[in-house]
Amino acid sequence: MNALLELVLQEALWSAVGAGGFAVLFNVPRRALLYCMLAGAIGRAVRTLLLEGFDAGIVVATLAGATVIGFIAHYCALRLKMPSMIFGICGAIPMVPGVFAFQTMLALLQITGVSPEAAAEPLVIAAQNAIKTGLILGALAAGIVMPALLFVRPKPVV
Amino acid sequence: MTDNEPVMLKPASAVRPVFPYVDGHEHKPLMEREELRDVINLSLWAGQLMLQHGADAARVEETIHRLGTGLGCDWMDILVLPQTIVATTINNQDFRTRVRRAPARGVNMTIVAEISELSYRARTGDLDRFTLRQELHRIDGAAPNYSRWTVILAVGAACAAFCRLFGGDAVAMAVTFLAAAAAMFARQELHRQHFNPLLITTVTAFIAGVIASTITLLEPETSRMATLSAAVLLLVPGVPLVNAAEDLLRGYPVTGIARGVSGLLVSLAIALGLALALWVTGGGGL
Repeated sequence: MNALLELVLQEALWSAVGAGGFAVLFNVPRRALLYCMLAGAIGRAVRTLLLEGFDAGIVVATLAGATVIGFIAHYCALRLKMPSMIFGICGAIPMVPGVFAFQTMLALLQITGVSPEAAAEPLVIAAQNAIKTGLILGALAAGIVMPALLFVRPKPVV
Repeated sequence: MTDNEPVMLKPASAVRPVFPYVDGHEHKPLMEREELRDVINLSLWAGQLMLQHGADAARVEETIHRLGTGLGCDWMDILVLPQTIVATTINNQDFRTRVRRAPARGVNMTIVAEISELSYRARTGDLDRFTLRQELHRIDGAAPNYSRWTVILAVGAACAAFCRLFGGDAVAMAVTFLAAAAAMFARQELHRQHFNPLLITTVTAFIAGVIASTITLLEPETSRMATLSAAVLLLVPGVPLVNAAEDLLRGYPVTGIARGVSGLLVSLAIALGLALALWVTGGGGL
């Protein structure tokens, strides 16, 4: 249990650094910077907790983490009077599936260099990683917009 | 009221419609042709800035609508297309329509936040078209919040942190920091020369990949994957991809698909740059 807690805290710390770096790259207003880091840290902590502590799959865990980020972003948006996408996108950056995308690319490149018989394995690896990448990205986006989908339900005007 | 007194603006919502036309609809006070022109110019400028700097389609449409109706129009109809906005201002029986191009200019959340705030001020009647013009000039010309070198350091630190999250150790993190910071510097330089964005992405990924590949000289294979994939994360089109999904979810399929495709193209450009780097450094059966 202690090992899990330590892992979660460590991941949260590094996620905060990552989210903060990208917040600077995206030129967020200075007073939003800390909240972006907080969103990144908590989102990733939730995901790690579900992954390691509750044996959830990575897509479901990402959806849960991103939903938490979405609600934090919604709260920060009301509090700081800024668009929620600032906190949502910066907070989601630490969960972007960089390694899976990279492995997809490596496997795809391998396919081009081998005989058709030997291509089966890298092809499957590429497909698996591409599907994971796509699903995780989809889960991230769906989680971030969750509050908007739940709370903002305008009556159609036409 | 004497002539010296400042004219107080009434909240747009508090202005009672005074010209009920025969069409049976209620209308706001009549606007001059010139006023209508100003409103469409300014609200389109605001929308253009938002679209160029990374806002999603729904937000652009809502903001333009708030600005236009806040400045006295009855209604606005807005069509948000990839890198283009079409808008019509309507007041009583009169209307004006305009198309505005908005090529992407890189993510800038401060601009998105400030224009969003302006639109809420317009809705409460706290903003007239002359102040709005001044504010848009200021926002458009404002210097970034963070200096160039702060951005380079922050991006390097962020990519090093991701290297750690991907399972790299301290040496791998140091190499990632150097690779990402150098790549960010190169990206800024190339951006200044107005090269094609996809070309910039490929070249930057190549530079990051070559520097990150030095990890194999320092350590055995274990950290290679973490270092290489973290070093190019600064290029990942996170904002276009999240916006693409958001547009699709909220009923803007045209902008959603266009953003998704451009995000995919950027990802392919990253892959191409990395592949070239791996080939040059001889690190992989390519």
